[in-house]
Amino acid sequence: MIATVVETKELLDTVLYASVSALGLTLVYSAAIWGAARFAEFSRDDRPVAAGFAAAVGLLGLAASIAAVVIGIVVMTSK
Amino acid sequence: MDSDLILAIVVATALAFDFTNGFHDTANVVATSISTRAASPRTAVAFAALLNFAGAFISLEVAATVAKDVVNPEDITTTVVFAGLVGAIAWNLITWYYGLPSSSSHALIGGVVGATLAAAGTSAVLGEGITGKVLIPALIAPTLAFLVAWLGINITYRIVGRLSPGPVNRGFRSGQVISGGMLALAHGTNDAQKTMGVIALALVASGHLSADADPPFWVIVSAATAIALGTYTGGWRIIRTMGSRIIKMDAAQGFGAQGAGAAVILSSSHFGFPLSTTQVIAGGVMGAGAGKRLSAVRWGVAGNIVFAWVLTLPAAAAIGAATYGFTRIFGTGAAGPLIVLLIGAALAAIAFVRRARGEPVPAG
Repeated sequence: MIATVVETKELLDTVLYASVSALGLTLVYSAAIWGAARFAEFSRDDRPVAAGFAAAVGLLGLAASIAAVVIGIVVMTSK
Repeated sequence: MDSDLILAIVVATALAFDFTNGFHDTANVVATSISTRAASPRTAVAFAALLNFAGAFISLEVAATVAKDVVNPEDITTTVVFAGLVGAIAWNLITWYYGLPSSSSHALIGGVVGATLAAAGTSAVLGEGITGKVLIPALIAPTLAFLVAWLGINITYRIVGRLSPGPVNRGFRSGQVISGGMLALAHGTNDAQKTMGVIALALVASGHLSADADPPFWVIVSAATAIALGTYTGGWRIIRTMGSRIIKMDAAQGFGAQGAGAAVILSSSHFGFPLSTTQVIAGGVMGAGAGKRLSAVRWGVAGNIVFAWVLTLPAAAAIGAATYGFTRIFGTGAAGPLIVLLIGAALAAIAFVRRARGEPVPAG
């Protein structure tokens, strides 16, 4: 009965898109912060290899965060 | 002549509703950024107003739902739309006056449904549309925001939990510029479209627009402007409730709550579900709080908010129906809506003056 009233596919798509985008953004932005914070610590401790790795993680996380926001806006405006 | 005058009153009233929607919902959008000190109140409100304006232009799916899936446009008159709007505005002002967050969206839909029931009976109300497009998404969306924010904050704490708090807080405060901006954009797109939908409904009812057409560009621009001005004017009393009385937040929780809220509202807008931004962001805030520890959420305040939500649909519907009945006392012309408009404006002015003077709110 309820399945005939509710637009099940659109509702499930909403749940999927919202979950993936919010959790994905949280994950990559947290990685960006981890990278930035660790980079500062490792640089202070004079550990250049570890600092380079942390910087790479931070930059990748930041780039992925920006990409996630841009993709979200493009998807919204494309319908 | 009378029908054009009523249409003009409806458009003005719809834009006034849009203004009160922005005014009333400012708190939902900016409270989290202010609470975590990611932005000053003035900056947060100005930023939110700008992105509310931009958000109104990015989709028309929700406007189509409001115009076509809630009530049968063929059974609607401009007076019905007017009465529904009065129901929504009155309920928005009552909840604003008492400092209660409620749903402007559900007030609007309740008002229109109540007025339609009074005017044309149950056959004009599209029960399947209301259930499938409004009621079930209304239950799912805040729950989803709660779960996503809860899961998100747990992921965040796993990744950054052992780092020194200074850089982490600074990082998430910067991130809140983006998450808060996305939330404002989401608010603009979902809420401004409801006003566009209602104006489109009135244009169809008065024969100025075909039932399957999108809202004209002037409707989109005016709705965007009204909600942005309302947001800028702000709702400082409600900011206090949303920002600190539900939960004390750190910047990571603020980021998680806003991100979850924005994702749920933007996804729903994409599929045409008219949501309550109030409910969704409150779900996100509570989820982010519960993710840290359940006792951090002030469940009593959250319970008061839920109580206001439960009242919103029937209360706005009752006011909408009563308003329609009152206008009919003066016939089918413009006299009824004009009299209601004058009485409503006077009552709203009294409420604003009392608030501005800081007179105590009666208990209850």
